[in-house]
Amino acid sequence: MTASAAGVLVAGAAVGGAGGALLAGAGVAAAGTAITLGAVAGALFAAAARGRARGPGAGLLWGLAWALMLWLAGPASLLARGGEGLCSLDLAQRSFPLLAGLLLCIGAPLGVTVGAFAAPAPDPSGPRHSLGRAVVVGGAAGLVAALLFGRLAVAPELRPAWAGGAGMSVVAAMMRIVVPPAIGAIFGILFQRDLRGYGSSMGWGLAYGMLWWFLGPLTLEPLLEGRGVAWSLEAARPLYGAFVAHAVFGLLVGVLFAVVDRLWVGFFYLSDPLTRQTEGAGARTLLSLAWGALGGVAGAVPFAAIMLATGIFPFVSRLVGSSSLAVGFLVHFAIAALAGMGFGVLFVREAPHLGAGIGWGLVYGLVWWLLGPLTLFPYLLDGAFEWTIDSAAAAMPSLIGHLVFGAVTALVYLVLERRHLEWLKLDPRVAAREARLTRPVGTPAPALWLVVLTLGIVLPILLG
Amino acid sequence: MAERPGDTARPDGAAARSRTRFLPPSLRRRAAIGAVGGAAGGLILGATLSQGWVMAGLGVVVGAGFAAAVRPTRAAYLDTTVSAAALGVPAWALSSVILLPLLAGDQPQWTAEGMRGVFPALAGWLVYGIVMGFLVQALSDLVARVAGPESEPERPPRPEPTRVLILGGGFAGVSTAAELERLFGPDPAIAITLVSDTNALLFTPMLAEVAASSLEATHISTPLRTTLRRTAVVRGRVAALDLDRREVAIATGSASVPAAAASGTVTLGYDHLVLALGSVSNYFGADRIAAVALDFKALGDAIRIRNHVIDLFERAESERDPARRRELLTFVVAGGGFAGVELAGGLNDFARGMLAYYPAIAASDLQIVLVHSRERILPELSERLAGYALERMQARGVTFRLRTRVKDARPGAVLLDPPDELPTRTLVWTAGTAPSPLVRQLPVECDKRGAVLVDATLAVPGRPGVWALGDCALVPDVRTGKTCPPTAQFALRQARRLARNIRRATRGEAPEPFRFDALGALCVIGHQTACAEIRGLRFSGLFAWLLWRAVYLAKLPGLERKVRVLVDWTIELFFPRDIVQTLDVTAPDRSQP
Repeated sequence: MTASAAGVLVAGAAVGGAGGALLAGAGVAAAGTAITLGAVAGALFAAAARGRARGPGAGLLWGLAWALMLWLAGPASLLARGGEGLCSLDLAQRSFPLLAGLLLCIGAPLGVTVGAFAAPAPDPSGPRHSLGRAVVVGGAAGLVAALLFGRLAVAPELRPAWAGGAGMSVVAAMMRIVVPPAIGAIFGILFQRDLRGYGSSMGWGLAYGMLWWFLGPLTLEPLLEGRGVAWSLEAARPLYGAFVAHAVFGLLVGVLFAVVDRLWVGFFYLSDPLTRQTEGAGARTLLSLAWGALGGVAGAVPFAAIMLATGIFPFVSRLVGSSSLAVGFLVHFAIAALAGMGFGVLFVREAPHLGAGIGWGLVYGLVWWLLGPLTLFPYLLDGAFEWTIDSAAAAMPSLIGHLVFGAVTALVYLVLERRHLEWLKLDPRVAAREARLTRPVGTPAPALWLVVLTLGIVLPILLG
Repeated sequence: MAERPGDTARPDGAAARSRTRFLPPSLRRRAAIGAVGGAAGGLILGATLSQGWVMAGLGVVVGAGFAAAVRPTRAAYLDTTVSAAALGVPAWALSSVILLPLLAGDQPQWTAEGMRGVFPALAGWLVYGIVMGFLVQALSDLVARVAGPESEPERPPRPEPTRVLILGGGFAGVSTAAELERLFGPDPAIAITLVSDTNALLFTPMLAEVAASSLEATHISTPLRTTLRRTAVVRGRVAALDLDRREVAIATGSASVPAAAASGTVTLGYDHLVLALGSVSNYFGADRIAAVALDFKALGDAIRIRNHVIDLFERAESERDPARRRELLTFVVAGGGFAGVELAGGLNDFARGMLAYYPAIAASDLQIVLVHSRERILPELSERLAGYALERMQARGVTFRLRTRVKDARPGAVLLDPPDELPTRTLVWTAGTAPSPLVRQLPVECDKRGAVLVDATLAVPGRPGVWALGDCALVPDVRTGKTCPPTAQFALRQARRLARNIRRATRGEAPEPFRFDALGALCVIGHQTACAEIRGLRFSGLFAWLLWRAVYLAKLPGLERKVRVLVDWTIELFFPRDIVQTLDVTAPDRSQP
C-alpha cells in the first residue's frame, strides 16, 4: 500500500493528534497541548520517516525511536518546565508516565500507520513476502518461545500472564494457547519484510518484547482488571522483572522466527539453482564463526579489565567449581570466544559501515547482559535467578563490560569480514551480490539501537 | 614486450596505497564535518553538565569519530540523527561512567548508585547525539552540494599486472594458483591464469575407489572455477608455446579434440610461466599394448574401467562356455606400485561383491591378476609392509605374477614374460608414466624420460620467468642430492615454494631452494585394510585404513566434496556398491556439431 506525501502527512498528524488525546485521557498531559503537539509531532514524523518506514515493522521501530527522542528532548531534559535544572534524574523519573504514554500512544501507532501507508512494493529479486508464512512461522515461534519460557525457572509473578503466571484457570490456559501465537504472528506480519539475519531479528524481537511490557503489564492488564493504566514510577518499579521477562521472550520470538523463516527461505527459495549463492552458506558460516571467535577474544580483553576491577572473576571461576583467578580468566575468555562465534553467526552482513557494526555490537552486549549476569550466571551458580530491580542494580558494573565487549567484538568481526569482502569484490558480479545482501542504509536498525539501548540502560536506573 | 616485472622490484601499488589509506581525503572531510557537528552538540554538554570544557571537547572528538565511522548518505536525516543518539549511550558509558571519574582520581561510576549520579550526563549525551547527528547530516549534504560528492582516495596509476600463466590443472598447477592467491590476496597487481584440459582438479588418491564403484565419480573432482577465487581458468590445451615472445597459444576446443583440430585458439602472454603439465601413461613403445590397454590416470579412465567391469559381468552371466566366461572375468592389472595395488584391491572387492547378483557366475570364474616386474610389490614401502600387503591381498583373492612383465597384448589375451598367455578382456596399465610429451617440444633441457630440468628453486635454467614442477619436472632434492619423486605429496610442496619464489621475484628478491622431507606413504589394499609408513612408523590393517581415510579426506579440496565423499563412505557401510552401468563402453565417441 502506498500513498501520496500529503496523504501520509495528514495520516501522521491525525494519528499524532489522536495519540495526544489518549495521553490527555490517561491524565499525563493537558488535552489542548497534547493534541496540538501530538499532531505536529505526527506530521513531522511522517515527513521524516516516509522514506524510511518501509513497512509496519520498520515504521513501528522508527516511531518508538521518535517517541523516545521526543521524551528525551522534551519532558526529560531541554524543554522541562519549572527551572528545576536540566536532565536531572528526579525530573526523568517524574516524567516516566509520559515516556510510557509517548511510546504507546504516539510512537507505536504513528510508526505502524506511516509504515503501512508508505511501504514500497516488495523487491521482486528477493524472496517473496507472504502473509501466510508470516502468520504460520510467527505463530509457531510465539508458541515455542512461550513453551521454552514456561520451562524457565521464572518466579510466577515475573512471568507474563500468558506464559504461565496466572494460575490454572480455564481463561489462563486459553491465554497461554492463544496469546503467544498471536504475539508471534503479529511479529511475523510486522517484521518479515525486514528480516535479513538472525541477529537483526533478535533485535527486532527484543524491542518488540520491551514494547509489550509497556503494553501488557503497564497498560492492558490493569485496564482489564478495572484499574487505570500503571504508568507511574511506583507502579512500574515492581514490574521491572516482567520487563526483563518480556525482553527475553521477545528475543526468543525473534530468533525462533528468523530460524524457521530462514529455513523456509533456504528450502524453498535459495535451493533454487536460479537463486543459489555462489559461496555456500556453510562456507560463510564457518568463516563467520572464526571471525566471531577472534572478535570475542578481542572483546574479552577490555571486559576482563572491568571484571578485574569489579571483582567478578571469582564468581566466574565458580562456574567450573574453582576459586582460582586464573581459571576464572580462562573461563571468561572461553565464554567470550563462544559468544563471539554467536555474534558471527547472527550478524552476517548486517553492518554497512563501522558505526552500524558498533550499534549491533552494543545490542548484542545488552542481550548477553540480560542472558548472562541476570539469568544464566545466577542459575548455574545457585540454581535460580531473580529478575528484580535489585539484581539488575547489582549487575550494573557488568552491563558496562558487556557493552564494551559487544562493541569490540563487532568491530573486530567487521574488519575481518571486510577483509574477506575485498576478495569477493574482485569479481564484479559477486561484489554486486554482496552489496545486495548487505543491510543497506535506510532500514530501521538505528531506531532499534536507540530504543533497545536507551530502555535497556535507562530503565534500571530510573526504576532503581 | 615491456620490461618483465618479475626481474626487478616493480613500483609497489600496495605501498603507495598504504600511504593514502591513512586518513584519505574523504575520511578527513567526514571527520571535519563531524567535529563541527560535535562542537555544536558539545555546547549542550558543556552548558548543562559539570566539567563543561572537557565535555565540550569530548563532544568534538566523538562527533569526528562518529562521522568518520558512518558512510554519509544524502538526506538520511532520520538515520543519522537516530544513529548518533544511540551511540550517545556508549559515549556516556565510556566518558561519564569510566573516563572522567578516572581522570578525577575516583573509581569508575559503574555501580547502580554511581550511574544514578551521572544520569544527567546520559540524558545529555543522548540529546547531544540528536543534535550532532542532525547537524552532521545537514553539513554533509551542504558540503556535498558546494564541494561535490566525496572523492575516492587518489590511487596511484595502477601498473600493468604481473601475469602468471600456469599450464596444467593437476595438483601442481592448481596448488600453485591457490598459493599465489593466498600470498597476493586481493592485490590487483597480479593476474593469474590457469590453463587446464579439464575444468576440475582430480583427487587421484581416491581414483581407485571410483573405478571400484565405492565413490561417485564427480565427488573426487573439485571444479576449478569454484576452488580458485581470482584465477582466470581457461579450458584448453597448449597448441604452441613461444618462450622468446612469451606467448602461449591455447586451443580452446573440447578436451577430447586434439589441439591441432580445435576450432578456437587464444594467445596468452605471460611474465611468469609455470609448467605443471603432469604425466601420461608410458607404454615404452609397445603400441599393441597401448591399443588394447585401459589407462588409469584420469576420471574418465576410472569411469570406463567401472563400466567395463560391469559390462563383462553382464556378458559372463549369459555365457555358457566356461573358458570364455573365465576370459571375460579375468582382470589384469599391470604394475605393482601404489596405483596398481590400490586398483587391484578395489576391483577385487567390487567384483567379488557383485557375485551375489550374478547367480550363473562362480567365484572360481573370477580372477584379479596383478603383474609386476620386480620381486615385490609396493617398492615405495618397506619390505615388511609390502609382504603384509601381498599376503592380505592374496587371502582376499588377488593373484600375483611377480618378476613378470607384460610383453604384448592383443584383443582377448595378454602375453607375459617369462612366456605365458593370459586369456582376458581387461588389461589396465599402471606400469609406467612419462612426463607430458609437450615438454619435449619446448626449447628447454630435459632428461631421458622427458622431464624438464630445473634448478633447486624450480626455475628453468637460462629461461628467466619460466618455472616447472610436479611430474613434468626433474627437481633436485637439496637434502639428498637425488631428485624428488613424482608424487602428489611433493608436487603440493613444490607448488608452495614456487608461488613464494614468484612473489619474491615480483619484489626483486632472490628465489629460495625447495626443501622437503617426505612425510610417508599410505596405501589401501582392500576392505578396511591399508598399509602406512609415516616418518618411519609403520601401521597396517584397520588402523592404517582409518588413517588413510582421515588423511585423504582432510586433503580432499573443498568442504562440499568432503561431505559428499563422507556420505558415500557411510552409504557403503549399509548398502552394496552400485552396479548401474552408466556408460556404453562399446559405443564410439560422438562429438556435437
